[in-house]
Amino acid sequence: MMLQRILAFSLRALLQFRHDRRTLAFILIMPLLMILIFGYTFGGDVKNVTVEVVNQDTGLHEGTSPLLPHGLYLGEMIIKNIDEQTLSLHENTNLTNARQTVYDGHAWAAVIFPANFTQEFLSHVSSQQETGPVKIEIYLDASNPTISAAVIKAVTQSIQATLKEITTDLNRTQVEIPIMIDQTYAYGGSDTRFIDYFAPGVISFAIMMVTTMITIILFVNERRNGTLQRLLVSPASEGEIVVGYALAFAVIGVCQSVVVLVAAILLFNISIVGNILLALIVLLLLAFGHQGLGILLSAGAKNEMQAVQFIPLIIFPSILLAGLFWPIESIPSYLQPLSYIIPLRYGIDAERSIMLRGWGIGEIWVDILVLILFALLTLSASVLLLKRKS
Amino acid sequence: MKVTCLSCGMLGKVTFEQTFDTSTKIVEIHHLTKTFGKFTAVDNLDLTINKGEIYGLLGPNGSGKTTIIKMLSGLLTPTAGSVKIFGNILPCKSVMKTIGYMPQETAIYLDNTVHENLSFFGGIYDMSKEHLEKREQEMLQFVDLSKWRDALVLTLSGGMKHRVSLACALIHEPTLMFLDEPTVGVDPELRATFWGYFENMAQKGITVIITTHYMDEASHCTRVGLLRLGKLIADGRPQELKESTGATSLEDVFLALAGGKIS
Repeated sequence: MMLQRILAFSLRALLQFRHDRRTLAFILIMPLLMILIFGYTFGGDVKNVTVEVVNQDTGLHEGTSPLLPHGLYLGEMIIKNIDEQTLSLHENTNLTNARQTVYDGHAWAAVIFPANFTQEFLSHVSSQQETGPVKIEIYLDASNPTISAAVIKAVTQSIQATLKEITTDLNRTQVEIPIMIDQTYAYGGSDTRFIDYFAPGVISFAIMMVTTMITIILFVNERRNGTLQRLLVSPASEGEIVVGYALAFAVIGVCQSVVVLVAAILLFNISIVGNILLALIVLLLLAFGHQGLGILLSAGAKNEMQAVQFIPLIIFPSILLAGLFWPIESIPSYLQPLSYIIPLRYGIDAERSIMLRGWGIGEIWVDILVLILFALLTLSASVLLLKRKS
Repeated sequence: MKVTCLSCGMLGKVTFEQTFDTSTKIVEIHHLTKTFGKFTAVDNLDLTINKGEIYGLLGPNGSGKTTIIKMLSGLLTPTAGSVKIFGNILPCKSVMKTIGYMPQETAIYLDNTVHENLSFFGGIYDMSKEHLEKREQEMLQFVDLSKWRDALVLTLSGGMKHRVSLACALIHEPTLMFLDEPTVGVDPELRATFWGYFENMAQKGITVIITTHYMDEASHCTRVGLLRLGKLIADGRPQELKESTGATSLEDVFLALAGGKIS
């Protein structure tokens, strides 16, 4: 291995991209575009869901109870605590009309507080009778599960917040509250958004896609244009060719990662908990492995047209089986074993662990080991492939 | 019998006694055969090419010219027989430094400039920066492209691309050049220019092995081998071949030797 020859390969490839601005744009902008499109379409949390609110709760009037001298209007408090960004509330006094609005598709849900809501709650609390839980009715248009989930989540959160307020009020009166949900988070928090979960996957996917595609096209061209023959007649070894290109892809990979990471941080406020350098190393391993795969696949394509045909073959398994959008646990169990043979799975898993959980090598060594093996396997196979003579 | 190449240590397969002589024999081909399945592309070829020759491998399409060149440059492994270059049996990486190869295809990087192509090919031949710069200027002058140094190859005309390709094959000062149909698809004017280059190269002591199916071009060669169906049917100076068969052109020589059939 001669460094000068290796660098000659890397430099030539990089200079080629400098002249071919379109390809350069593809390399840098495609990952950016992916995170933008996916981030804004998938990543945005549900907002401004129109919801009818019917508050029939008469409450507990001022001065009625010595425990609560100022009275208690529980329904009103819960409504006030509902996140206004998620739900756009429309107060309605007519129950039938509210239901009809949902039925007609003008609202996603109607939240209904019964007339004796506060009283029932209080009697349940004070007497601790088994009167059954106090009920709020949510009349839902559940045709969109994401929205229904968002409505229920918003109301539940509001109930919890309200209960907390009352607990402090009632604590002075030594009354115990029967329902008290306290949420704690191992990783992330109540503010973890889908985009946080999604970004590490998009970055890995973008690196994988660009590296594979560019390598296939580059090597199909090397074969077709006869330049590869020239290289094989030169003193340069097949290993030097592969390592030279790998270095060029390392440079490209770093540029891509930086662009995507900066975009993710600036546009989507993604907080990266773990070591960025480790995240970058994992991405490079992913790039090396897919460069090898690209060289191998290029041997199976006679021209660019045939090369392009490999792309869906690579994209779809990666999107569907590697846990990019959905956790691997959510794909049918008979398909889950397939995900183990998709290298992207390990890249995504490692990137998520680093960025979201702040894990280090100690926790993700299996992912890293698999990626190193994948890279060694495909790169050495591609050296052998280039050496093969008829 | 397996013999290790003395100069680079690579393992080569030989079927004859290995001898290292100091004569001017540059390429020695012994019983060279290549078959693809049932098809015999090159059939038991014996040939020796000496220093400073312009040797023309002449024959119609499919006569085995390119297969021979690919075996001589180490791109194809012979089915039988062997090739010795500068006394070293192929495969031999150290011999590669002294070989220049210009494939049939233009074989340069279209998305790089002329300069980038030249310095890349110089780079993989371990040339020092100063040497490479000097050599690049010489080559650009040689193929008359000094003005186009920084032009993207993609934007050049077909003839210019061919000239860049030749310059890339010569950048590392090879002493043996393989040119695979360098004049196919080249206009008559540039063909004349190219033959001027080749004769110029031979004068500088470079041994040139060239394939062509243009019989008229072969008169520029110091020696020609006529190929038909993978077999060498004649080998000699163009003039000798004409005299021995009483033909007026090499085309007629070929037809006379091939019994009136070209293929």
